[in-house]
Amino acid sequence: MNQYIFTSKQRNVLIGAMGIGIISMVLTWMNDDAFHTRFWSNFLHNSVFFLGISVMAAFFMAVCVTAYAGWHTTFKRVWEAYSSYMYVGVFFMLILGLGVYMHWHHLYHWADESLLDPNNPEYDKILHGKSSFLNKNWYFFGTIIVVGSWIFFSRKFRQISLDEDKNGDTSYSHHKNLKVYSAIFLPIVGFSSAAMIWQWVMSLDSHWYSTLFAWYTATSWFVSMISLTILLLIWLKSNGYYKEVNDSHIHDLGKFLFAFSVFWTYLWFSQFMLIWYANIGEETIYFRERYDNYPVLFFGNLIINFLVPFLILMRNDTKRKFGSVGLVSIILLLGHWVDFFLMIKPAALITANHALHSLHSGEHGAEHAADPHAAHGAEHVSAFVEGFTLPGLLELGTFLGFLGLFLFVGLYSLSKAPLVPKNDPYLEESLHHHV
Amino acid sequence: MANNHKEIVFGLYNDEEDLIRAVKEAKTAHLDIYDVFTPFPIHGLDPVLGLEESRLHIAGFIYGALGTLTAFLGMTWIFTKDWPNVFGGKPYWSVPAFIPITFELTVLFAAIGMTVTFYIVNGLGPGVVNQHLDDRITDDKFCLAFDKGSVSEDKAVSLLKQTGAVEINHKTL
Repeated sequence: MNQYIFTSKQRNVLIGAMGIGIISMVLTWMNDDAFHTRFWSNFLHNSVFFLGISVMAAFFMAVCVTAYAGWHTTFKRVWEAYSSYMYVGVFFMLILGLGVYMHWHHLYHWADESLLDPNNPEYDKILHGKSSFLNKNWYFFGTIIVVGSWIFFSRKFRQISLDEDKNGDTSYSHHKNLKVYSAIFLPIVGFSSAAMIWQWVMSLDSHWYSTLFAWYTATSWFVSMISLTILLLIWLKSNGYYKEVNDSHIHDLGKFLFAFSVFWTYLWFSQFMLIWYANIGEETIYFRERYDNYPVLFFGNLIINFLVPFLILMRNDTKRKFGSVGLVSIILLLGHWVDFFLMIKPAALITANHALHSLHSGEHGAEHAADPHAAHGAEHVSAFVEGFTLPGLLELGTFLGFLGLFLFVGLYSLSKAPLVPKNDPYLEESLHHHV
Repeated sequence: MANNHKEIVFGLYNDEEDLIRAVKEAKTAHLDIYDVFTPFPIHGLDPVLGLEESRLHIAGFIYGALGTLTAFLGMTWIFTKDWPNVFGGKPYWSVPAFIPITFELTVLFAAIGMTVTFYIVNGLGPGVVNQHLDDRITDDKFCLAFDKGSVSEDKAVSLLKQTGAVEINHKTL
């Protein structure tokens, strides 16, 4: 079975997941504060997470081609399929970008342009200094241009790969072509993904910055992408597809899962320790907020994303056995989703609370105390507030919806081409892959 | 001590594929292989020889864990009991500051421990002179050796010839 068939049953399951997602998002919207902070922060969280996974799939294909790697060739269609989600993912980011123009949401502190006016008593010199990058035009058009360029390259990879199936010959001109595009794509995605991470995620803490942040976030994306690849391959194999993918391929993916989990920890800790050691208030605020108000996730993040893969995947055979590597993949997919929660939620709540506070004090200060949602984030609150300091059921529902959409797009794309490519010069190597 | 000497008959091959084929032949003929020597690790040779997975990495894990404990407990004792000092206004027991050194000692203990273990297990080390069958097994020849004590010489030689050994030699170790 070299042709994946996207059955109507699978479609229905994924559409059901999307339905759960839409219901969760509607429920979140209805029970939200005046700015719908919980809704918008969940929306941003999942949009960024899944768009990142699809970017990393394209990125890793380019890495493999540039590095003369052949082990992945049998299942490279999975990465092509994942990267096709960018068409949908960019749409969500543009909704957020439009929201900055239209003031639909108050996620980004820098979006409040009155702060840039030196005559305003709340004039913010730091944001003024950053305003040449942190502004609505950069957010919207930067997203279009950068994600557009990613889409252009991933589309090229896909086209070349499909054309190679039909017209590939032993001159391997397709592969040479692919190599050129990959080599151009790598520096572009390397720098532009950092800029987009600053724009989408890091600017939520608009006064704060860290030079390590982009790598750390990109590694989170990467680990999630490998997890999802392992899970999909195991699922496809259990359905009788991809007989060519053997435990050595899974072993290599498991090694990447292990190695990049450790790399993620390295970056997490490097960022943390430098800030902790220097002990400058402007920098420590990022960790202070998360340490005080999100202690479960703060430490849970390290346990889930470092200790679990480190201890379980250390052995040779746990990387090869579908059960253990699949289990770790599920844990890490959720773990890195929680990691993004921890990057996005605290900052978004602080900004929204600040805005809510000035909104309420401007109108009628008495109602502020009565608003049940206004207090979260900014002040010390209980560490267990569902949807705010911990992902609640609605957050999980939203995640399921986005996951359903991601897999729907991915599997649809996967069903459009044979699973194992033909005429790729590295195909034989990949078929005989043995470690 | 004459009993400790081993009478070895060995064949040299030009190619690792020949060697793997020869090992398979020897296994089917139930000949007891003394050892094989190759200039570089050969993919797929271990399972053919029926070697068990090395336990060196388990030792490595234990050495690493020892290093972790040594560093962490050592620094805990030094900075809280033995010689407490305030660095940059941090508490005495500053765990984040211990992590890099803990990591380094983990790596150091694991690396040195595994190296020493490897040397001891294989009878290597400074000043130790090991006899070897042929100099070229470190360069471009692949060697399959039989102990005449456990395999009859005729069978061994005929197998070596049959499987394409370019040279067949004898040596007493």
